[in-house]
Amino acid sequence: MRLECQDITYGYAGSAHPVIENLSLAIDEPGFHALFGPSGVGKSSLAKVMAKMVEPQNGTIRVGGNGPVFYSHNMERLPDWSPVGRHMDRITPDHHVSLRTELIAAFGLEALLGHRFSQLSLGQQNRINLLRYLVQDFQVLIMDESLANVDEQTREQILLTIKGYFPGSVFIYISHNVGEVATFCRQIWVLRDRRRSPQVLRRIGLDFRSDQLLDRSALDHTMLEMMSAD
Amino acid sequence: MLIRRLYQFLMIYFLGVGVLLALKYGAGLSDYVVPGPVLIWRTCMDTTARYLSDVADTLSVAVVGQVLSILLALLVGILGRQTSWFGSFIKAAAYNVQAYPIVALAPIIFILLGDGWPARLLIAAMICYFPLLLSVLGIMSEPVVDIEHFYRQTGRMRWQLEVKIRAFENIGKLTTVIAGSATLAMAGTIVAEFIAANAGIGYSIRIALYQSDLAKILVALFVIGITLSLYQGFLEWCGLRVKSAWIGQPGEPSGGES
Amino acid sequence: MNRLTLQQFLMPVWVLIFAFAAADQARAVDTVVYRLKWLKNMSTAGDLVANSLGYFERAGLSVTVKAGGPERDALRELELGHAHFGVASADQVIRARAKGAPVVVIAQLFQVNPLQWIYHMDGGAMNSPGDLENKTIGVTFGKNDEIIMRTLIAGAGIKATSVRLFSVRLDYTPFYKGQVDLWPVYINTQGIEIGEKLKRAGVAVGFFDPSDHGVRFVANSVVTSRRMMEKDSTTVRRFLGALLEGWRFAMDPDNAGRTVTVVQGFDRDSGKAVLEAQLEATRKLVRPSSDTAIGAIDVPAWLQTETIMLNHGQIDAPVKVGDILMPLSASQ
Repeated sequence: MRLECQDITYGYAGSAHPVIENLSLAIDEPGFHALFGPSGVGKSSLAKVMAKMVEPQNGTIRVGGNGPVFYSHNMERLPDWSPVGRHMDRITPDHHVSLRTELIAAFGLEALLGHRFSQLSLGQQNRINLLRYLVQDFQVLIMDESLANVDEQTREQILLTIKGYFPGSVFIYISHNVGEVATFCRQIWVLRDRRRSPQVLRRIGLDFRSDQLLDRSALDHTMLEMMSAD
Repeated sequence: MLIRRLYQFLMIYFLGVGVLLALKYGAGLSDYVVPGPVLIWRTCMDTTARYLSDVADTLSVAVVGQVLSILLALLVGILGRQTSWFGSFIKAAAYNVQAYPIVALAPIIFILLGDGWPARLLIAAMICYFPLLLSVLGIMSEPVVDIEHFYRQTGRMRWQLEVKIRAFENIGKLTTVIAGSATLAMAGTIVAEFIAANAGIGYSIRIALYQSDLAKILVALFVIGITLSLYQGFLEWCGLRVKSAWIGQPGEPSGGES
Repeated sequence: MNRLTLQQFLMPVWVLIFAFAAADQARAVDTVVYRLKWLKNMSTAGDLVANSLGYFERAGLSVTVKAGGPERDALRELELGHAHFGVASADQVIRARAKGAPVVVIAQLFQVNPLQWIYHMDGGAMNSPGDLENKTIGVTFGKNDEIIMRTLIAGAGIKATSVRLFSVRLDYTPFYKGQVDLWPVYINTQGIEIGEKLKRAGVAVGFFDPSDHGVRFVANSVVTSRRMMEKDSTTVRRFLGALLEGWRFAMDPDNAGRTVTVVQGFDRDSGKAVLEAQLEATRKLVRPSSDTAIGAIDVPAWLQTETIMLNHGQIDAPVKVGDILMPLSASQ
């Protein structure tokens, strides 16, 4: 078991009703696992509970193994007082320096290391932000719309790259893009309104890799399952 | 920016003099109560050099007082930014004390320290300290979540980094409040000198008041206004230099995704 | 700025101007303000007696007697309509007249100028104005002591930078502490008070008298505005008549006890013995001889004051002193 949520109930302070109620799920394998659902259903809230950024009113989170659970999102910023390359130098552990170099090349960021964060486009900002998480030691990385401003083709390349470099890590991918989630994730947790029981349904994704051919009909089927789960 | 400051001051000053002169001629007041333009000009020729020296004296006290209070406000603000009992105490104390007119304490300070520069310096520092402290506290207490999140999660957050992030993100506010505290420091020093000191432009204004010499007072106000405009312009320039050195030259963001 | 806004903007200015003009009408009343030159003490004995013992009331006047001070200027207040009568010294009046202030003198309270400077004798006696060089000298800026001292300094040929003028207010501590070499006093009031204190402390003091060195200025005189004189001379006569009656009462040795009691009600810091000594000294200044009429204006002394001020550059041109001296008999 890598990460288990047991009977999680969580609501915002001052809110009349919890946004998540008695939700349980378990992630046993490495790879990409998605949290999917309409806006406001509680995906980010659940992700923050998993990362222990907030305390649920009820329930438990168990994380097996060693290593932290990191939560990343697309609104994060790097400090603007020096170029992003210098920031990357400072936050990269020694044993990941070569990994960093390879990922920078793979993400297409070599030419931008001398720029300050505010000088980058939104998509470039998303990429550099995600990259700095990837060069940390982690067990689970939550990507909450972390590549929202990146174009689709580049995003797919990035996801495939990550899969190639981190075969043993758990990624919890939050996105509204039903096709992307269905294609790249092995397990898809579809969240529903708290009044629905169960609040979360599990679907199996294609877990597409670069060495495979995409099965279009399986993709369509998965997408249909995801859409009908609501 | 400096030119605009000077221009605005001159407009307001000469408007004020115009109102006085309108009052003089409208009410038929003598030169003894409201001096005419010729008398004002003569007094200006006689006293400007002396008043420039006086205002330089006052400004030097105000600047040193301001610098001391900035350093102290930064120190206390950084220490008090936390939600610990100390931080809460500092915040509550600063909020309550800054509501009190510190200049009212000037007589006590002069009694205890005499009428020399230490009393003036202390009053100048105290007057701008509390508003500065409140601003620094506000800045240092407010997390910049978008930036700090990564460092907290990865265990890299240190107090120095936290302070640096919050200061950097609020550099505009900080430079504005520092520039504003210059006016406070100058005003406070002048009022303190007016109350009980034996030097500075405030003292000279007091003498002019005793002499019922409004012409001298007008010249003193003019010299104060010019000096303060120059000083604030200098502070703004410094603030821009700090910002551009820290933030860097504005560059073109890369175009689109390739 | 549209027309309406301009009118609104100017409205307070018009109100202020009309208020000054209307003040003329307000003066034809029985309530008047009398601004003294300094604090209420033995130098104002007659003023306080006139008010406390009902002389003003019997003349049909309700008089508010206001203490003077460093920031107070009776001449300015007369012109602005904040006071109807005031006390000022001749040099103050002449300097104000030189700037066009419409002030007139209706009585002269002190026939002898009480202003002197007290100094510590440990530095030696001060026998001439030349001894003022390199000294720190207390003056009340804006008052007669500043003008008199500047006249002395100029007369002795001392450079202004060779003396340090120290701004005097109400506290004598700088003199006690030795920060100031000479301190201005009225010989009949502070001179006695400070002199006694220092004598008890075993400190020898001397008094520097400007009149010993040719600077003989006229001291406290009663002033009013020319406008008041022209538009409400009746009130002026009533006020002055009652005031001088009060002074006559106060300067009469037979009334010493009551006068001291009245002044003690205002000057609570001075003991009875000190007040009695002050009253005796004041009597010699107000009525130096038995045939001196209290309040009489010493015209030659005024002319001399003007001449000295002119010779020493305190004023640029003569002010026609004769035009501003309006003793009671002349105003009837």
